[in-house]
Order: sequence, then C-alpha cells, then structure tokens
Amino acid sequence: MALLSVRDLEVKFKTRRATVHAVRGISFDLDAGQTLGIVGESGCGKSVSSLAMLGILAKNGRVAGGEVLFDGQDLLKLSDARLRAIRGKDVAMIFQDPMTSLNPVLKIGRQLTEVLTKHMAMDKDAAEKEAAELLGRVGIPRAADRLGDYPHQFSGGMRQRVMIAMAIACHPKVLIADEPTTALDVTIQAQILDLLKRLVEEERMGLILITHDLGVVAGICERTNVMYAGRFVETAPTPELFSRPRHPYTLGLLKSVPRLDAVRKEKLDPIGGVPPELTYVVPGCSFAPRCAYATDKSREVTPELRAIDTEGHLVACWNPVPDADLPSTPGPPAQPDDRWAAR
Amino acid sequence: MSITEAEAAQLAFERPSGLWRDAFERFVRNPAALVGVVLVLVFVLAAIFAPAVAPYEPREQVGVLARNPAGPGDGHIMGLDEQGRDQFSRIVFGLRLSLLVGVVSVLVGLSFGLVFGALAGYLGGRIDFALMRLMDLMLSIPGFLLAIGIVTLLGPGLFQIMFAVGLVQVPTFARLLRGSILGQKEGDYVLAARSVGVPGRRLLLVHILPNSIAPVIVQATLAMATAIIEVAALSFVGLGPQDPGLPELGKMLADNANRLQQSAHLVFFPGLAIVISTLGINLIGDGLREAIDPKLRT
Repeated sequence: MALLSVRDLEVKFKTRRATVHAVRGISFDLDAGQTLGIVGESGCGKSVSSLAMLGILAKNGRVAGGEVLFDGQDLLKLSDARLRAIRGKDVAMIFQDPMTSLNPVLKIGRQLTEVLTKHMAMDKDAAEKEAAELLGRVGIPRAADRLGDYPHQFSGGMRQRVMIAMAIACHPKVLIADEPTTALDVTIQAQILDLLKRLVEEERMGLILITHDLGVVAGICERTNVMYAGRFVETAPTPELFSRPRHPYTLGLLKSVPRLDAVRKEKLDPIGGVPPELTYVVPGCSFAPRCAYATDKSREVTPELRAIDTEGHLVACWNPVPDADLPSTPGPPAQPDDRWAAR
Repeated sequence: MSITEAEAAQLAFERPSGLWRDAFERFVRNPAALVGVVLVLVFVLAAIFAPAVAPYEPREQVGVLARNPAGPGDGHIMGLDEQGRDQFSRIVFGLRLSLLVGVVSVLVGLSFGLVFGALAGYLGGRIDFALMRLMDLMLSIPGFLLAIGIVTLLGPGLFQIMFAVGLVQVPTFARLLRGSILGQKEGDYVLAARSVGVPGRRLLLVHILPNSIAPVIVQATLAMATAIIEVAALSFVGLGPQDPGLPELGKMLADNANRLQQSAHLVFFPGLAIVISTLGINLIGDGLREAIDPKLRT
C-alpha cells in the first residue's frame, strides 16, 4: 500500500464574487523513498492542493471532496488536534520563500526546538542538542553557535536550510516541498536540491516536489504530474515525460523553456493565451482554447487520465501529441547544476 | 561549501546585531530622544525618591498663611503656597502621583486594548465586527467628554479618573494591535508554523503577537503623556481627588488659577512640571517610533 494516497481531491475557495474551483479532483500515490513532482504554472492549484492535504487552507478555502489516506486514516476527516499531531511530525512542509517563512522575532534555535519539544516530547536541553545536530545535517557551519541567531542574520539559502531542518526534525514520512528553490539563486538551488535528494535517501521519506521549474523536476523526481487548471493532465515517469510528452500542454511547457543544447538564436515557442479562470467548470478540456490539437470533442467532453504508451504513462487528452511532433532534441531542460556550470 | 563558509565568516563579523539592538542603536543616535530620556530620568527619579528629594513633607505647613504668598527665595526655591507649604516639595510629590497616573491608566488601557485587539485581529469574523463597532462607538465620543462621563458614573477621585482615562485609550490600542495582527497573520512564517502543528493559541501568543506589538509599544509611551495631561485636566475641572491636601499637579493649578497675577509661581511651577514630564515622554515616544518603525527596517 502506498504511503500517502490522494484520491479525487477537490478544493474550492469562496471569494466575494464567486466560488473558485481551484483543485478539480487530483489523485496520486506516494511510496516511501519516492520523489514525486507536480509541475504547472502559477495558479493551477499546485500549492493549494498541498495546503489542503495538511488542513491549513486559508479561511475561505475548503476541501470539497476526495480523501487523503495516510497511515490508514483520512487526513481530511481528522479532528484539528489529531491533525496537528501529524502535521510537522509525519507530514512536513517546506515553503517557497525562506525570507519570510521564519518568524523574524524568534531565534532560530527557538523555532527549531519548538517542533522538537512539541512532537518528540524532548526536554529543552535535549531539543537544543538535537537542533544543533539538525542544522549541521543541513549544512550550516558552526551550527551550535548559530542557534542563538535571528533569521535576518542568515542568507536566503541558509534560511531555506533552516526551514528544511525544521521540516525533517521529527523524521517525517512525507515531505512536501512547495517551490523550495524558486526564491534562490541558481547556485544555491543546486545545493538545496542536492540536500533534499540526500535527505530523501537517508530518511526514506516520500517527497512531493511542487514547482514550475521543469529543470528542477528533471533532476530529482522519479515521477512527474503535470497540472493544469486544477487537474492532472499528464503523469509519467520523469524521463518518459521529457522524451515523449503526450499532452499538448506538457509539450508547450517544454518548448517554452530555454535549452542549453539548443541551436543558437533558436526562438522559444511560448504557449499562446492565458489559463482559464477557475470560477466556472466548463465542459471539455480546460486547455482546449489554447491547444493546436483541439477538436470539437475536446471542447465538449472533459478527458480523463488514461494509459498510453508505456506502463505508468497517463494522459488526459483526446488527441495526444503524435510522435512526429515530438521535439527533435528530447530530454529534460537544463537543471540548476547545468545552468551553474554553463554560466 | 566554500561559499557558505565565507558567508558564515561574514556574518560572524557582523555579529552584534539583532532586531532590538538595531532599534536601540537608532534610538541612541537620535538627540531629541536622548533629551527625552534625560527629562524622564529626572522626572522618574524625583518621583520614586520623592521623600529624599523634597526638603519638607507635602502637607507640612512651614510658612505663614497668606492670600498672595511670596515667590521663590528664603530657602524655598519655588516659594510657598497660600497655606504656607513648600511648593517644591509639593511638586516633587505631585510628580510621583503623575507617574503613578501615567503608568496605571496606560496599563488599564493596554490590558483591555490588547485583549480586544488581539481577539478581533486573530479571530476575525463576527467577533472582530462586534468588537470594532464597540470601539468605533467609543471613538465617536470625544475622549475628554467620555472620561468625564465615566468619572461621573464612578464618582470623583484619583483612581476613578485614572481608570476613566485608561478606558478612553482602549479603542486606540485595540485598533492599532488589530491592524498590526491583520498584517502579520497572513505571513508566510505563520503558515509555516501552522504546517509544523503549532496550535492556535500558541500561534497568536508566540508567533504573531511579538511581531505585531511594536507600534503598540510606541503608542503606549505616547499615551502615558496624554494620560498625565488628561488626569491633570480632569482634576482641574474638579473631578479629581477630593482630598484638599493631596499634591496633585492639576489640582494645584486649579486651586491657584485666580492668583496668576499676584503669585505667578503657584501656577507656573506646577504647569512647568507637567510640561517637562510629558515633553520628555513624548520625545522618547517619537524616538521609539523612528527606531522601530517597520518602514525603516530592512
């Protein structure tokens, strides 16, 4: 049985004007030691689905359906107190902006020990010792000295290391990283990704990596889900996804990312149009208005994920991209490591 | 890892810095604030050590009764009052009362204001709406009138006016803290704290409140000066302590207002004492505001 199993998760937000149907039924399984990527552009529901899993949606948001099975229980049905006991202990999260995700008036040590004393029932001394060890593990030099420092005395990359230390403090089984490298320099991005990779191996965690950066996914994820307008439109083992993207949206994404092996002066090919507003659920494929392959059927009947090509490659499209249209230079776009090397 | 090490060395170099330490450094580089500190230090020391500073008891008759008592001189640096009491001693003890008044009424205002503001800001919704309309209601009545109303309800007396002046300040504190909390509670660090399972009450008290309190501290300082003036004003109009011997500065002004032409020192010195003590507090408050204003923070 999978470690974490999400089934038909739906999230809605009530705004003053309308109800926004932000996540429209996503399902996936995560095994221990597995790394799962979720990619998509801003506003497609990536972050919201992870917040929903942990029950920390903003006040106007609510889970409208589905279940999140972890350890035999549905997280969505747990009481507040029970869920709090799981949050940070068994399922932890890393956020996008390390500059603002740490409390500016509390010392780093205090924020780390808060987690340890709460979930691991450690006393203050033990927690402090453990906190220093954690900082060391995530690669912060002179860790014990730095426990007394405030967040503003750390750089962005260092703060993200602290956030990671906080997240792995209680040896979680699932780690959700929401754009963990987006706010960082490329050099630091590569370091942080290496760190995450190492920790996943050491701890046998399941990692859900949410990002809009295809390069990041390529470097670390075994399997990748492509999300568009609140749904998964394609899911496949990462190498397969990059070499044979079958959903026109995935192909569009790949074509709009610069490649290091591209011919000089070759133009990027962006996706025309904008993503749909998520206020209405319209029949048909949400991507149809921007899609070159769309037919009348795409505009009328919403496609479900279905198996295609090899094992484990699913795509929600009536007219998957034919082989002839696949990119001539298949493979993943530049990863942070390469970008740094090619500088 | 060489980059991280270099960075660590750099940070060690800049070590003596912290949120409050930075604020402190900005504060001491502000000359006006330092003047305020000196004034308040004199005021507070005189108030605390009043029995040692004052040459006589505040109620002790050391000279003769006189309709228009003599001004400074003859061993009495601020002269005598109409009952032959040493004016300087009375003012020193008056400052003691003023300090008490300032602290107590601000504490009254803060205790209600912080609770209301924190609840409204953190819980939001109907509680927020109800509390804030109550605050609006209080703000719609001029502060001094409201204070007079409350004193009328409670009866005249020193503690009653301190309480009244404190209550008048409640809406200011509540609104300030509410706004500040609203700005903080959507912050990423709050979401991050929730994601590790920090429960609601702890979230408010440990994470949000310390980040929201700075403007309230500044306001509390300034409010202390306002409270001293308002209490003096209330006792000037006769709602203050009824004990005629009590050396309350506002009362001393009221008692001697009609002798301004004959014995100006009886009005001048108590007035000066109020001005200097409140000026000092205001200078400190402004200095604090500049020192911990989030807009100046990097």
